[in-house]
Amino acid sequence: DEPQHVRLKVAQCLRTLTACTHDEDIAAALHTLHSYVDEGPESFTTSVQRAEFRRAHYTRALQCLVSNVQADWLRRLAAAQRIELWDGLFLHGPPEQALLVLMEGIGSLRPSTNLDHLVSITERFLQSGRLADLLWSYCLETAPSDSPQLRETLLGRIVALPDLTANRLHPHNKPLFLPRQYYPLLASEMLTALERTCQALKGEDGTDCSLTFVAQTLGKVCIQGHSDVVLAVLAPRLSACTHSDMVWRRVCWKLLENVPQRWIESVLNGLVQSLLSRPDAFGRIIGNLVLTNKKAQFVITHKLLLLHYKYKTQVLRIVLGYLAADRERRPLLIQVLRSVSQAWANPSAVKHTPLEQQLYVTKALLLSVNLLTDSELQELRSELLQCLLGGMQSHLDSNVVQIRRVGMVVGECLSTRMDISGTKLKFEYEQDEDTRELLSLMTPAVTSDEPASSENKTGPRSSKTDPDSDLDSDDELTPYDMSGDQEISQASPPRYLRDCLETLISSEDPARVELSLRVAESLVRKNAFATREISVQLTKVLLHMEDKYSINGFLSLRQATMVALAATDCIPVTQYLTTEFYSLNYSLRQRLDILEVLALAAQELSKPITEKRDPSVGTAANTDLTLYPGDNPVHWRQVVEKRIQSNTKRLRRGATQPLAKATPNRYAPVAGHFFFPLLRNYDRPQLTFDLLGGDHLVLGRLIHTLGLFMHLAVNAPIAAQMGRALLDFVWAVRYHADQMVRRGVLFAVCSVFLSMPSQNLLLDFSDQLFETRTWLADVAEGDPDADCRSLAIQSLVLLDKSLKKQLQDPQALSPES
Amino acid sequence: MSRPAPSPIYTLRGAGGPLNTLHFSCFGGDTPLLFSGSGKGAIHIWNLNSRRAEKILEGHSGNSVIWVDTLESTGALISQGRDTRVWLWDLREGRSEVVDSVWTGSVGFCQSSLLESSPGIYLLAFAGQQTEEIKIIELPSKTPVCTLVPDTKLGMVMCIKLWQPDSGPGPLLLAGYEDGSLLLWDVTQRSKLSQAKAHPEPVMCLTFDTERLRGISGSSEKKLSPWMLDRQNNLQLQDCVPLVNPGVSHLCIRQDGKLLASAGWDHRVRVFGWKRLRPLAALQYHTDMVLSVAFSDHQDPRRRLLAAGSKDHRVSLWSIYSSNDGDNDG
Repeated sequence: DEPQHVRLKVAQCLRTLTACTHDEDIAAALHTLHSYVDEGPESFTTSVQRAEFRRAHYTRALQCLVSNVQADWLRRLAAAQRIELWDGLFLHGPPEQALLVLMEGIGSLRPSTNLDHLVSITERFLQSGRLADLLWSYCLETAPSDSPQLRETLLGRIVALPDLTANRLHPHNKPLFLPRQYYPLLASEMLTALERTCQALKGEDGTDCSLTFVAQTLGKVCIQGHSDVVLAVLAPRLSACTHSDMVWRRVCWKLLENVPQRWIESVLNGLVQSLLSRPDAFGRIIGNLVLTNKKAQFVITHKLLLLHYKYKTQVLRIVLGYLAADRERRPLLIQVLRSVSQAWANPSAVKHTPLEQQLYVTKALLLSVNLLTDSELQELRSELLQCLLGGMQSHLDSNVVQIRRVGMVVGECLSTRMDISGTKLKFEYEQDEDTRELLSLMTPAVTSDEPASSENKTGPRSSKTDPDSDLDSDDELTPYDMSGDQEISQASPPRYLRDCLETLISSEDPARVELSLRVAESLVRKNAFATREISVQLTKVLLHMEDKYSINGFLSLRQATMVALAATDCIPVTQYLTTEFYSLNYSLRQRLDILEVLALAAQELSKPITEKRDPSVGTAANTDLTLYPGDNPVHWRQVVEKRIQSNTKRLRRGATQPLAKATPNRYAPVAGHFFFPLLRNYDRPQLTFDLLGGDHLVLGRLIHTLGLFMHLAVNAPIAAQMGRALLDFVWAVRYHADQMVRRGVLFAVCSVFLSMPSQNLLLDFSDQLFETRTWLADVAEGDPDADCRSLAIQSLVLLDKSLKKQLQDPQALSPES
Repeated sequence: MSRPAPSPIYTLRGAGGPLNTLHFSCFGGDTPLLFSGSGKGAIHIWNLNSRRAEKILEGHSGNSVIWVDTLESTGALISQGRDTRVWLWDLREGRSEVVDSVWTGSVGFCQSSLLESSPGIYLLAFAGQQTEEIKIIELPSKTPVCTLVPDTKLGMVMCIKLWQPDSGPGPLLLAGYEDGSLLLWDVTQRSKLSQAKAHPEPVMCLTFDTERLRGISGSSEKKLSPWMLDRQNNLQLQDCVPLVNPGVSHLCIRQDGKLLASAGWDHRVRVFGWKRLRPLAALQYHTDMVLSVAFSDHQDPRRRLLAAGSKDHRVSLWSIYSSNDGDNDG
């Protein structure tokens, strides 16, 4: 019978190939084998025989060829003959078997010409589209119903081919096997297989096709991290094909359905990202997968919207647009809105998740609210309102400016959208990039060609509107700064500080109050003796002063004057301010003012005295103070960076700069007056002020200010004591829930390490250093706030540097021994 | 980023009185000169190289000098004082003699206006004894040319400007009156060509660009009022230029027609681009009203200065927009 016959024939051929030395016999045997794989009409084998050979003997024959690859007869074959007979056998049989044998051969051979030969066959195998044949054969289920293990191996070989070849061939790897070329090739072969499937489905005979294997390949490629390359080829083509062709759509849906559960996530992630420029294609390609596949549903409605905050906003648009586009998927959109709004409003999330994630969730919230119809909104009204109120409260409570702004923007947008009895929320906040982006989400996205065309329309028109523009030669004259050109008032400013004080205390005339406030700083600086007499009194008046007349620049004028007072008559004023900081009946703003004044005064004192105190100093200080709202963290960061810069050694040749003239530090002798009184009483909660409780905004600023005092006290004799006290103080609050407090703590630690003499660091903290290091390492690794992490790293570096310096210097340890 | 506000390159002190009027004379001789007339009746001749007063002319019997000018071709100086007289001085070869004087009869503050009608022959326009009267005489012959009196009551003549248009035979005269009206007179026809109500308050000062036929006037208000002459010699008011503080005592256009300077009661000199009247700078130095501004007529554009005379007895000199590519030394 036929199988028997084939087996005998093949066995004979293989024997010949192994043992025989006669070229004619060899050629005859190869021809015989060839006849089994050749489909041509002149073939003298029957189809049954061929099928039997393919099923049972093809792999064996190829293995035999590979094992005899070093035989002499192969060398003696003419090149053309070898390509036709030897190589041809690999390229014409069942592709999956050929690929497996080839990969096995490449895996087992040592580097030699034989290996090169196999590699070149593999290259031709790939180039001649055999991969598509392979995938297509699995679509048709004509491949033998193989074992799962075999299929797994085959999948592995196909997907990992670049890795396998790279491991074997090292520098001699072929360009075709590099991921950048191989995966696009694989993708286009997959497309070919899908296309054949479509044609088969459209055909008259209605062949059944299975996309399981293609789907598995896709899934496996994606989970191995090549989704971007593969989908960059696949997605645009699928998007184009599904545009009008229903069969293609069904094929795509089937394909996605067949991707195994464990790989569907990476496929979806890759797909969403590769479709950024074609938002509507996502729905066409995946169909209602989200309804049928639980895993896909979880990925789309949960992970993509809440967790993958590294993705662009466009991803959110795609996903939410997908959910909103279909009637059946619409309930999911509502469900998503519920979960997103809960996530947004969660007070613990506001505290413990990174800012970027909160922004991402906010965008998701706004986008999904925007997609709802009015009736759906009505249905969700109470829930949304609850979320809005609770969420806004926790956002507005935050110490981080961006989070507060997010709360305000969402409040405005949601209240506008929900139309709560005609009232809208309106906040005052500074626009920045984030808020602008959030606000822009509320207006529906326009398609990209619309604005371009309107621009074209307006372009020429606007250039025409200026008929006499050529006459306009004033433009060559650049204006000078005219900010000083203010209206002059009739009243004359007070000339004595006492008059000034009188006016500020008792006058009801806005013009006089304003004039007094404007000249107060220069009067304070001009006459130090007069200032000392009334410094505390004036400080008290200023601290309690309110902007009754909405004077332009009131806050900065008041602050500058208080700074001048604290710098001129340092000890009494600081004593007053530090006592008042902890006393009753002050607003948070006033307490923050106290801290800011102290910090600025300390900074001023620590700067070298300029020889001539000209009046321009006053105005210079004024311009510095325009950053009055103390939320800006840039300032101290600059300070730290400058400090680190100055600690960095730069080797250079050439003339050194002349040494700066030494001047006495005015801050060093009084540093303690600034610092220690603020450390008293912090744990004594009062009726109106609970530093360790709810008023963590002030706590953060306090610690930060203390850190600044520490930093400015570098080289002061008292620095060691200050550092010790500060570390003790911040140790208690180092795990505070508020990130502003943690930032302050880390800043303080940084400044301690910068300003403390390194020998003291080792002597005084030898017991705590280990714990501190562990804590810093923990923060550097795990803190949700990026600033905290980088500050912790900064502190670790400083600590290590200082310790290293100390341990390497034998002299330094001598006082201890 | 705009440049910081400029400061004066130098100041001239010691005039001993408010500086009512300034006049540059940089053409003749090597030394650029600045004439100033003070409220104490003295005319200072400042040498701008040494930055000292070269000569001080005492005249007008101690009455305030309200206007000085030079007759370029004869090297004579002409000054007007509150003693109701215009004096002519001979300054050649170091002399400083009064050669002639004209009685005007005007007790107001109106500055006269001088126009060289043909070489060596000047027309002098001044406010006359009657309230609305403007008289024009020929110098040096002192022949009366005409008297211009409007039909209606307009109050005192506040400021006048005599000029020769390119088209048309005779000179024209612009006059601002106490009720805020501007009148354009044809001197040869002795007739009024047009009239416009530029201000609700008295016209304090006016200046006119004879090339562009465009002028501007100031009053005690918080604005400057520009106007234009069309082909039919009609005065047409244009959009006002707002000021920060009210009151302008003097206006001056630079010879090249690029800049306009205003002397403000708010102690500041404001500089505008003349074509679009865009504010360019507010010069702050003086501690009292600025009474007069003048642009230097120096041949070297880089040494063309702006001078401002103030009630605080000082003259400040500024170098702004004096080179072509903007200003670097201001």
